[in-house]
Amino acid sequence: MKYESQGIAKMYFIAAIALFVGQILFGVTMGLQYVMGDFLFPEIPFNAARMVHTNLLIVWLLFGFMGSAYFLVPEEAERELYAPWLAKLMFWIFLVAGGLTILGYLLVPYARLAELTMNDLLPTMGREFLEQPTITKIGIVIVALAFVFNIGMTVLTGRKTVINLVLLTGLVGLAVFFLFSFYNPDNLVLDKYFWWFVVHLWVEGVWELIMASLLAYVLIKVTGVDREVIEKWLYIIIAMALISGLVGMGHHFFWIGAPAYWQWLGSVFSALEPIPFFMMTLFAFSVVNKRRRDHPNKAAVLWALGTAVMAFLGAGVWGFLHTLAPINYYTHGTQITAAHGHMAFYGAYVMVVLTMISYSMPLMRGKKAANVTAQKLEIRSFWMMTLSMVAITLLLTAAGTMQVYLQRYSAEPLPFMIVQDKLAIFYWLREVAGLIFLSGLFLYIYSFFAKGKEVEFIAEQAE
Amino acid sequence: MNTDDLQLKRATSSALLSLLNLTALPVIGFIGLLYVYSKTKPNTIDRYYAVVGIKTSLLAGIALLLVTLLVILLGGFESPLTWVYVTSYFVIVHASFILFATWTLTRSWTGEKLKRQILSK
Repeated sequence: MKYESQGIAKMYFIAAIALFVGQILFGVTMGLQYVMGDFLFPEIPFNAARMVHTNLLIVWLLFGFMGSAYFLVPEEAERELYAPWLAKLMFWIFLVAGGLTILGYLLVPYARLAELTMNDLLPTMGREFLEQPTITKIGIVIVALAFVFNIGMTVLTGRKTVINLVLLTGLVGLAVFFLFSFYNPDNLVLDKYFWWFVVHLWVEGVWELIMASLLAYVLIKVTGVDREVIEKWLYIIIAMALISGLVGMGHHFFWIGAPAYWQWLGSVFSALEPIPFFMMTLFAFSVVNKRRRDHPNKAAVLWALGTAVMAFLGAGVWGFLHTLAPINYYTHGTQITAAHGHMAFYGAYVMVVLTMISYSMPLMRGKKAANVTAQKLEIRSFWMMTLSMVAITLLLTAAGTMQVYLQRYSAEPLPFMIVQDKLAIFYWLREVAGLIFLSGLFLYIYSFFAKGKEVEFIAEQAE
Repeated sequence: MNTDDLQLKRATSSALLSLLNLTALPVIGFIGLLYVYSKTKPNTIDRYYAVVGIKTSLLAGIALLLVTLLVILLGGFESPLTWVYVTSYFVIVHASFILFATWTLTRSWTGEKLKRQILSK
């Protein structure tokens, strides 16, 4: 670790992992509620568990992105962080606000939470993924602005590289697009437009910039390939991500009351959306093939390659699977969407944060790489989590296909709940895969504490 | 262009055509691959990648088309379980072939054969 202020990332990463555990615990709880509807009812109803599962995902990924930026930017900018105290202060504000919001979801009925937080003054609650009380949303904006200011000033007063500028663009976009969550029109169709301006432009727009820059940074470090080569890839990838992703938002406007031209625009542009993810795979394979050194942190290399492959599968392939309007006519809002959502979030964003943690955590603990035992355990946890996520995706795809057929395609369509009963076998198997994922996550956490033989490496190679 | 450069270019073209055959240009990519093969000589890197490309394409053809058709014929067009199997099978197998072809393309850029350990020992 070259700069002391990079160490701030550690507290963000620890919080991210703790919230990740919470997210998965609520995930397996919900998984069980799919087949045992009254499990933990009325203490944790399905709607509250789902809200906590998705909100924790967003919050811990934001912690992960912030931690990654605090680690990456000083090194790229070749200077200490502009205001380390601000980063520490914002960490605590974000953690406390996030914690209180989750407790609010769990302890108070949602309508009462809206009353308590004076949602009527500026109504923003009640929309999927953006359920946070208005006061929490204001808190998120303050934290995001302080974070972007801190990172921005560090970049602008230091060395400017393609990596930190692309990252900064992504982070500014993340902060700006969240502002659409404050507009909540009465017209439901109009509301959906603005809702997707946050959700879609995050996950299929600016987050891809963040992901690509983090991946590029780690690949430079672990392969020793020339920065110029990696920067060229980065330019092409982010160009393709924005060209396809911005208008590709049209695939969310099918069948919601929006004009029919979105079916063409959404289909054509979102058919291009796998391209940047495919290019990331090509990029990662290519630089690992051309590597100039074998980095001692094998786990980080594996996470980096895994990110590229799983993002391509989850976001690219599974996204394309149901993005064309004639297909989406049948699959809209079925378990096919859930299959895509699970693998895309895991492959693109969870894995890139874990890649950064895997690369940076040993450095922040004063080592070049984790010891041999720890790396073995981490690699095992990689396979447990990744393969169980593949299983979850395949099982949800199977459930979704069956659901489409029975509920929407057959000559005598069955009602929703009858179909859900018929999908029980897939949900049980998905629950088993979810428990394996949770075990993999515990193993991942344990790997940080495992003792073992230190790795051997040539000192200058690992810089 | 000297012989080595020409061979490297043909090797890369073969890998790219194999990838295109699996994605945007099925059949056309394969015809292109056969054309590149006809230009190569035995025991050269371009012949190696042309053969890898042809084998990948044929294997993918059997795995994706033949197996899928067999499942539909045996399972029945009107059975939901047939489509559950076909969708899951086709997507995962197709994606696996694309990933393999991508790896092949990146290896062809280095001018070396396929085998290289991804992670260090």
